[in-house]
Parts: sequence; C-alpha cells; structure tokens
Amino acid sequence: MTKTLTVEGDLATVDLATTLTTQGSVTVPTLVTPAGTSKIDRILAAAGAEGLADGSAVFFIRLGGNAVKGGEQVLMISAGGRIAPQAGSDAAPSICSAVQFDDLDIECGPSDTIRIQAEMAGSDLGTGHVAVTLIFA
Amino acid sequence: MTKLYRSREGEASSVDTKTQLTTLGSETDPGPLLVPAGATRLLGIIVAACMNMAAATGFSAFVRLEGAGLPKGPETVAVLAGGGAVATGGNASIPAQYVPLDLEVTPSNEVLIFGEMVGTDVGQVSFGVTLVFEK
Repeated sequence: MTKTLTVEGDLATVDLATTLTTQGSVTVPTLVTPAGTSKIDRILAAAGAEGLADGSAVFFIRLGGNAVKGGEQVLMISAGGRIAPQAGSDAAPSICSAVQFDDLDIECGPSDTIRIQAEMAGSDLGTGHVAVTLIFA
Repeated sequence: MTKLYRSREGEASSVDTKTQLTTLGSETDPGPLLVPAGATRLLGIIVAACMNMAAATGFSAFVRLEGAGLPKGPETVAVLAGGGAVATGGNASIPAQYVPLDLEVTPSNEVLIFGEMVGTDVGQVSFGVTLVFEK
C-alpha cells in the first residue's frame, strides 16, 4: 500500500532554499510521514518560472528533517530558460510537466517530520512555482 | 537497499569548455562531492539542463563524470540539444531525466561533475546533476 504527501510553494528568488508547507486550499497539510511506511518510493514533481527575466536555471528539491534516515537528499527536477521577445511582441508561456522518479528507495522513518524544500539555481527567471508529491511505501 | 542522492549545479557559458558544477543553489561552497561511505555503485544520474537562448544558433550538451570516485575512469553522457533562429522570444521548461548507469565507485573519494556546451555558443546552459548511489 502507498500513501501520498503533496506540498507546493513559490520560489521568490534564486539561490534560496524555500520550505514547501502549503497545498493550495489546504494551508497546513501534514508534514508527518505516514504510519506503516518505511521509504519514499516515488516522487512526482513539477517546477517552472514565470519567465519575467532572461537567463537559464535549474530547479531542485531537498528532502530532510528527522524522517529522512540517510540525511538530506537533493534531487534535480527541471530546468528552464528564457530570452525576451522583441518590443511589442508577446512571450509564449512555458509549461513543465511533472517528472516522475520511481524506485527511489529513500529510507524514511514512519510518523516523523519531513522537510521538503525547493530551489531555483542559476539565473533568476522570475517567481518559480513548485509542486511535489512524495509517494511512501 | 537504500539509495542516496547527491547533487551539484552550475552554468556553462563558453562553448567547448569543460565547466565543473560546484554549487548547489543557496550552498555556494558545498565542498567536494564524495562517494558516500558504504556506497557500492553509481546507479544513474538525474539531469536537468536548459539554455538561455541568448544567441541565434544551435548547440548540444553533455555531462562528464570524473575523479577518483570512479575507478574505471571518466564517463560522458549526452543530455541536451537545441537552438533558435532568432535570439528573441524564447521560453522553455524541461523536466529532468533519469539516465540509468551502473558504475563502480570508490567510497569516500570524489566525483567531479562537469557540464559542457558544444556545437556553437548559445549563450549559457544551466546544468543540474544528481548522482544516485546504491548503498
């Protein structure tokens, strides 16, 4: 049996570890690992930016806290780039579909706190937006 | 079996130049990336990469893995290619990809990660690389 834990948040600037603590309409979702589970088996994660500034960047997540037995684990999830359009033109949107990682085998203790953070690194592309689902088994 | 995930990121801003990835966002000096004690294999890498589209040209890119942590020698993996006819109006988001490998490692020794833009100079390519170790 599996159990999910989903959080999201905004990345206000580059090179800043931002703790993801909300879930849209659920402002205070649990950050406690499910009872009866022992590992993070899969992750679904999506990250993109508004593209309000030129450059290129990568997005990654940090998994830490007391629940993560092997210490902080850091996983890349996406990358983005942007160059300004000509004056008077509109910029196209960019959409980053979620990446899915299977068979992760990240050892976690049950019923313990987990910290999920995200960062944009490289150029500041404008506000970043990140959603992460951890699937415990 | 447990897996451990170690990452670095950085920018390659010149073509045909091996650029070591040494930072991790807010960690500007995370130190050497060492093979974790007890690790038995490097199972694969997760790569996120994108260009900044600052020049109207095309490129490809790869990641190089080197260092004493890899006793069988260096490895090079193709990860990205692209280009644009104009240097205006580009906007891209690219999910990371997992590249399965099966490499022997030497615990407590360093793995050096490099990103490299090749072809013609598109301006800048950001690389993020996660090493997936089995323990």
